[in-house]
Amino acid sequence: MRIIQNGAAGDPQTVLYQRCTIDLARDAIDIGDVGCRNLEEVLGGFGRSFQYLATRDITDAFAAENPMVVNTGVLTGSSVMTGLRTYFSSYSPLKVSNTGLPAAMWSAASGKFGSKLKWAGLDELILENKAERPVIIVIRESDDGPKVSLRSADHLLGKYCHHKILTLYEEYPNAHFAAIGPAGEHYDACYYAAIALSTENLLKSGDDKCRWAGRGGMGAVLGSKNVIGIVAEAQDRTAPLSAETRGLNKEIATGPGSRKFREKKKGGLGGTWANYEPLEQFHMVPQNNFRPIGDGTPELMFRDALEDAFVIKAESCYRCGINCHKNIYERKADGSKGEFRAKFDYEPLNLLSTNAGIDDPHEVWPLVALVDHLGMDTISCATTIDYVLDYNARHPEAPVFNGATFGDADKIRELIEQVGTGQLPELGQGSKRLSEQLGEPDYAMQCKGLELPAYVPDTNPGYPWAIAGGHMSMATYMLVAIEGDTSLAYWVKAITERGLLMVRDDLLGVCKFSGLNAEAAAGILKDEVGLDVTRDELLAAVRRAFIRGLWLERKQGYARDDYTMPAQVFDSPNPAIKAEPFVTREFFGALSDRVWEVFDREIDSLPPPAAP
Amino acid sequence: MSVRVRLPALFADRIDGVDTVLVEATTVESALRALTDRHGELATLVWTAAGTLNPLVMLFLNDRQLDRSGIDETVRSGDQLEIIPAIEGGGGRWRSKKSEVRRQVCPQ
Repeated sequence: MRIIQNGAAGDPQTVLYQRCTIDLARDAIDIGDVGCRNLEEVLGGFGRSFQYLATRDITDAFAAENPMVVNTGVLTGSSVMTGLRTYFSSYSPLKVSNTGLPAAMWSAASGKFGSKLKWAGLDELILENKAERPVIIVIRESDDGPKVSLRSADHLLGKYCHHKILTLYEEYPNAHFAAIGPAGEHYDACYYAAIALSTENLLKSGDDKCRWAGRGGMGAVLGSKNVIGIVAEAQDRTAPLSAETRGLNKEIATGPGSRKFREKKKGGLGGTWANYEPLEQFHMVPQNNFRPIGDGTPELMFRDALEDAFVIKAESCYRCGINCHKNIYERKADGSKGEFRAKFDYEPLNLLSTNAGIDDPHEVWPLVALVDHLGMDTISCATTIDYVLDYNARHPEAPVFNGATFGDADKIRELIEQVGTGQLPELGQGSKRLSEQLGEPDYAMQCKGLELPAYVPDTNPGYPWAIAGGHMSMATYMLVAIEGDTSLAYWVKAITERGLLMVRDDLLGVCKFSGLNAEAAAGILKDEVGLDVTRDELLAAVRRAFIRGLWLERKQGYARDDYTMPAQVFDSPNPAIKAEPFVTREFFGALSDRVWEVFDREIDSLPPPAAP
Repeated sequence: MSVRVRLPALFADRIDGVDTVLVEATTVESALRALTDRHGELATLVWTAAGTLNPLVMLFLNDRQLDRSGIDETVRSGDQLEIIPAIEGGGGRWRSKKSEVRRQVCPQ
C-alpha cells in the first residue's frame, strides 16, 4: 500500500494498494496498483472486498465466476500488536437466502500468513475461475516486486491441513501458508470447509496449531477453485517501534481491553473459555443443541476442572502479548507436559461437549482436534451435528445417519470423520438445508444459513442482523447476561448503533481481542501508516461497510422473512434459562419493524456499486 | 481517598464514552457507590436489584483480581479500581476514550 500524499480520508485516491488477479483457468496473472475510491477501500478487509463482490451476479457459490478475494487490513503486517489478519471473501455456499442464492461473506484469521503476504508486496489477491488441476499459489518477494506463480498441489492431496502446511514449510522455510484440508478438497460435500493459516508455533512444534478462517465455507470456495494452498514468502519486517506504537502495544498486552483473554497469572480472566463460569450462573451455556437443562453438567468443562487432567498453556500467533490460544497437553504421571491435544476455545469446547451431551473432556478433545485436522469450521460442523443428535433423540424409531444421539462420542467422531472426507453430503450442507429436508427446521440453530455460535438464541434477538456470523459481526450475543435489559428500545439501539460497529476490526487488520477503542485506532493509523483519519470518519466508514453488507444480502434475495430466529425460541421458551423469555414473536416483529426503519433508509441511500 | 475507576467500553458507552472516573472512597464498595451515585446510568450494571454486586462484574484493584469479599477492602489514595465484565458481548470498543480525571485533576 502506498500513500501518494497524506489526507486519505478526504481523497482516498491518493492511496494505492497492490492487487494481484489470477485467472486460474488461463494461468494468467496480473499485478498492479489500484486507487481507492473511499475510506472503506483504504482500510481494507471486507470494506474493500464487498465492493468488489457487489458488482457480480452470482447464483452458485461454486460457479467459476464467483471470485475469491484474499486481502489484508491496513494494519496487517504493521507493528501494531495483533495486526495479523487475513480476510477471505466470496459468495458463500453456506449462507444462503430463502431464494437459494448465495450471500456475500468474509471470514478472518490471524496467524502470520497475512503479514507475509503484505511483506511480499501484495495487499490483495483475487482468484477468478477454476484451475484445471489442484494447485498451490506461490507468492514471493523480489527486488522487482512480488512474483506469483502456480504449481501442482498433487503431493498435498488428502493430507490434514497442518500436514499440508508442514510439507510446504519444508519447501519454503521463509514463508507462511494458507491451506484447505480434506473437507475443502471435498467442497461439494462439505460447505463449511475452512481455511487454515500457519502460526510460528505450528511451524516450530509440528502440532496442529493453525488459525482458522472458518465461517461461511470459504475453504469450500477455495477448494472449488482447485486451490489447495497459498504460500507467501518474504523477509520479516521488524522495524523499530515508535513511542506511540510501543505505548499502544503495551496497552493491548496489559490493558483492560484484552484482560478477558489473558491468563489469570497475567491478570486476565483466562480466555474465551472463561465464558463458561459466568454464563452457567444463568444456565445459558448451550446443552443438547442449545437447550440448557440447568443440571450443572457444564461445570465439568470449567477450566479449573480440567487443570488436573491436562497441562494448559497460553500461546500466541506472532508477537502478541495476549496469548489467547489455550492449548491443552497431556499431563504426564509426573505432572509434566506431554503431547499436544487440542486448542480449547469456548466455541469448539462447548459445541462438541455439553451441547453434544458429552461431559468427559477426554472424549471431547479428540473431536475438537479431528474437526481441525480435516479443516472444517467447528461452529457449523458441530452445530449441524448437534442438530442431528437432537433429531435422533426426538425420533428414536427413525434416526438418521448413524443414529448418533447426545453423548455418543464414538458415533459423533464417525460423523465428523465422514463429513470431513466428503462421505456425508447431506450433513455437509449445513443445518438450514438439512433441517428443511428433514421437515423440522424449528430447532436448527442457524440464521440465514450460518450456524449459531455457542450462545443461546433465546437471549439474543440480534443474531439475524449479523452479516458474517453471529458473534463476529453483531455484538449483542451476551447482553442479556450482563445487562438484563429486555426492552425494545434497548435492543433497537444495541443492534443499529452499537452491535454493528463490531466489524471495525474486519477492515483494519487487527484482532477483536486487542480491545482498541476508536480513538486509539484512528491515532495509530496516523502513527503507523500515515493515514489522517478522524475517529468519526473511521466509524462512518465502518457503518457504511456494514450497511453495504445488508445491501448485498438484499441483492441476493434476502427479504424480511430471512431475518428471523430459530422457531423454537418463539414457540418453546426454555424454563431452565434464568432470564425472562422475552424473544416472543410479538417482540421480534416489533423489533424488526424498528430495526428496518433505520437500516432500510441507509441501504437505500448507498450509492450503487461501481465496477472496480 | 481519591480512587481512579477504569470502566470497560460497555460501561463507558452509557456515559458518553467516559472510561475513567475519579471518586472519593475508603473501600471498594464505597468507590462503586460513589461511581453509581454520580452516574446513575451505571447502577443496573454494577448492582443487582437486591443491591449486591452484579455477579458478572469482576474487579481488579491495582491489577489484582478481587474475589467477591474484596468489595470490603480498604482503598488508598491513588489506587486504581478496574471493572471488567466477566463476559462482554455487547461492549463497544468504538467509543472515544474520555476521562473525567483529566478534567478534575486539571480543571483548566
